[in-house]
Amino acid sequence: MPELRIEATINGRKVARPAKPHLRLLDFLRDDLELTGTKEGCGAGECGTCSVFVDGVLMKSCLVPVAKAQGTRIETVEALANSGELSILQKAFHKAGASQCGYCIPGMVMAATAAIRSNPFAGREEIKERLGGNICRCTGYQKIIDAVEMARDVQNGKLSASVFAEDEPEDGAFIGANVRRIDAPSKVAGALKYAGDMVMPHMLHVQVLRSPHAHARVVSIDVSEAEAMDGVEGVITSADVPGEDGFGVFVHDQPIMARGKVRYIGEAVAAVAAEDVLTAKRALAKIKVVYEPLPAVFDPDEAMQPGAPVLHDYAPDNITKHIPIRVGDVTKGFAASELIVEQTYSTQAIEHAYLEPEAGLGYVDADGVVTIISPSQNITHHREMLSKIIAQPISKVRFIMSPVGGGFGGKEDMIYQGMLALLAMKTRRPVRLVFTREESIISTAKRHPSRTTLKMGLSKDGRIRAFEMRMISDGGAYGMSTEGVMRKAAILAAGPYAIANVKIDTYGIYTNNTPSGAFRSFGALQAQFATESHLDICAEKLGLDPFEIRRINAMRDGATTHTKQKLKSVSILRALEAAEKASDWEKGAPVSRGETRSDHATQGIRPPCALGARFEAPAAAERSEVA
Amino acid sequence: MARKRGRGVAACWYGIARTATVDRAGAWAEIDDGGTVKILTGVTEIGEGILTVLAQIAAHEIGVKPADVTLGDNDTARSPEAAHAGATRQTYMIGNCVAIAARQAREKLVEVIADHWDVAASTIETANGEIWAAGTNHRISMGEAVRICKAKGVVPLGSGSFGTDTTGLDPIDGAGRPWQAYVFGCQVAEVEVDTITGEVQVLGIWAAHDVGRAVNPRGVEGQIEGGIVQALGQGLMEDYKLDQGRTSTSGFAKYILPTALDVPHVTSIIIEDPDPIGPLGVKGIGEPAMIPTIPAVMNAIYDAVGVRITSLPATPEKVLDAIKEKEKSHTRRNIPAVAAE
Ligand code: FES
Ligand code: FES
Repeated sequence: MPELRIEATINGRKVARPAKPHLRLLDFLRDDLELTGTKEGCGAGECGTCSVFVDGVLMKSCLVPVAKAQGTRIETVEALANSGELSILQKAFHKAGASQCGYCIPGMVMAATAAIRSNPFAGREEIKERLGGNICRCTGYQKIIDAVEMARDVQNGKLSASVFAEDEPEDGAFIGANVRRIDAPSKVAGALKYAGDMVMPHMLHVQVLRSPHAHARVVSIDVSEAEAMDGVEGVITSADVPGEDGFGVFVHDQPIMARGKVRYIGEAVAAVAAEDVLTAKRALAKIKVVYEPLPAVFDPDEAMQPGAPVLHDYAPDNITKHIPIRVGDVTKGFAASELIVEQTYSTQAIEHAYLEPEAGLGYVDADGVVTIISPSQNITHHREMLSKIIAQPISKVRFIMSPVGGGFGGKEDMIYQGMLALLAMKTRRPVRLVFTREESIISTAKRHPSRTTLKMGLSKDGRIRAFEMRMISDGGAYGMSTEGVMRKAAILAAGPYAIANVKIDTYGIYTNNTPSGAFRSFGALQAQFATESHLDICAEKLGLDPFEIRRINAMRDGATTHTKQKLKSVSILRALEAAEKASDWEKGAPVSRGETRSDHATQGIRPPCALGARFEAPAAAERSEVA
Repeated sequence: MARKRGRGVAACWYGIARTATVDRAGAWAEIDDGGTVKILTGVTEIGEGILTVLAQIAAHEIGVKPADVTLGDNDTARSPEAAHAGATRQTYMIGNCVAIAARQAREKLVEVIADHWDVAASTIETANGEIWAAGTNHRISMGEAVRICKAKGVVPLGSGSFGTDTTGLDPIDGAGRPWQAYVFGCQVAEVEVDTITGEVQVLGIWAAHDVGRAVNPRGVEGQIEGGIVQALGQGLMEDYKLDQGRTSTSGFAKYILPTALDVPHVTSIIIEDPDPIGPLGVKGIGEPAMIPTIPAVMNAIYDAVGVRITSLPATPEKVLDAIKEKEKSHTRRNIPAVAAE
């Protein structure tokens, strides 16, 4: 491929250099110019983490071929904080607490800069609409929008720049103070390096071959042609694992790469380390894997039937974990009930969608220590597992946790770090792997989809006399956090309510679906969705206010939980009261009284969204500012 | 009226730190030259704000400013085990062990300075980078105090370890002590449902959560706001779809996430019911923040249009189908009545 020569002004400096024609502007900025403040969240124009200005226009650099940069003036996030001082907008992000993991933040800052450049008087709704092309998975956007409004007002002289200053308690009591986040300046400036931004001298690039089958025997893998390619420094399969090949948060049922069979589409089968990503990708195409498809099972109820395809020999019934909770006698409780309500609930699989796709580096240091740098949520456990997998003592394994661009539980599984270790050991060079968004979505854990049957018996006064729940969760192909998720779901299923008769069973089941794993709120969300919906159904039938039915049943100080643990202080009544008061709740049974109720707030809600109708003409806005 | 409003409520509870097993974490602290503080513990930021929280705790306990605190990297070969970043355990487990380590380092410094001034250690106070003896003229900077301390051959160090008094669950009836700290919460949602399109807009959430003790209230709000919006994603739009194990939602074009246009106004109410066991009284907020949101929204949809969504997500199609179904059965039920007229 003939190289292009790109001449452009980038962050005020003239750049003239060759570039490979297949590059996107994003790659040119990140890889060739090392301007890693511009991030790749999706590579498809959907997330906005790659936003830059091209000739003053906000653009998603993942959609711009590098040739288009020719002769343009480009500004990246690194240009905003010129000579080290943060821009007004960056200061506002810092002050308002608008950054959390920070991975969306450079793009967000660029989009916000564009918003108030386009209309210095943009209102809150217009700001939202102008940020509509940028995804943030952490903040819920509220503090980001607050920050943009703050910056707008400082810029317009309506607010003094002193609002950006730190609140410093005079007595030094910093616990309880709104100290500005210490990591924010590096995030708003795009200076913080996540694993995918890091480079090491002499580094190789890793790509992973993934299974196209949901369930298949791996008959043979031939890597000889891939290995012989120019620029390929190492190819690994499960045959390269020297120790006990298995990882997982609870059961170690997952090999670093498929061993003997594949159990889901997207499972790693082999990996290549090469001089560049393109060569590594080409090498994947040269690996010959012979599969023999096996019958697969995709529904957890079917997987529990006798005769269903078995995923793991140790679990012939495909049950990863069953957790029972028993208190009192539910049969008696139902007999003593005046109202019995039964209902099924279901929840879907969802993706963590942290904006930072998985990435990591591996190297063997001068003392022979196998070192992994990655946004792992559990380096201690990963070290222990990797030491067994590579048959090295703990002292020869080191994990460094790089800044995590969002985790939410999705980065607890050691899904790729083993491959980095093996390739670093095999090639004796540093290696780096950066997942694409698609790779991240198909190969990593999801939230457990669930089907729940809930039966509740109550007396007329609203007291819950019996609670019976059965929850079936699809754990997918590997155990990951399923056991823990089932446990937490079971313990918390019946809610913060004192109930004398409880029967709960949660089941995590193996299927050939994408594995389910840890996800913020870990099973409690699925179970309490059912219980809290159910309480409203029962309250309607009993003519009780929904707060009231919860108050009647709420645990009090000194309560005993459904696992027979005695609690000291229980704050549920305080929480109920606070929410009721803050929302100005109008009492009444949940009988679809929406239209008739008078508590629809005028405060504490946003105006309903009517797309496109919210831009005020800048001139009009200006006039109203003056007025 | 095409658009109807409704409100709903839901409560939640959650356990702090690892479940049904003994949790533990460790940290080291050093009061360093210039009156700065070095904290070493195996943790880094995953976005929740833990580094700021730890800097605040160390500053508060030792008597310096958060800006004077340096946090070491999360590195299994260089720092004590803090274990994993999850389970709503960071502020609770690591916050508490940093407090223990910081108090111990301060004690070492105070002992030397008290001796130097010939006053009782109990009269010594520290705050905002200064150290003084109450009721005397003795007052110096922390930097000066460290210099004096080191000149006497003492490096003011501390270490902290914090563990939980918890047990596994009985395999038959589940009895056990899974956590030593619990949090509780409640949220009210106000929604608007478009009866023509089935679209649900969440306009407001009032979220009251017990966090034990808020180290950084703005950070707590950030966790609540972010958790709520993630829950709305699951409640209303996100869906990882699989057919025969193959996904059709492998990119953000198909896998729909909430944007700035979808989010309600969130009003957070922080409740502080201090944990009686840990040295700080802190508990946590990361995960529980998202639990009541979905049922509160589903209860609000019921209030608005009288349909109960029991399978997530409540997409416009699903809500619309349910509304039509309800109207049909309503009409059916009404036929005899109409005929009788
Ligand atoms: S929009 Fe370019 S990386 Fe997502
Ligand atoms: S702070 Fe926006 S994605 Fe994490």
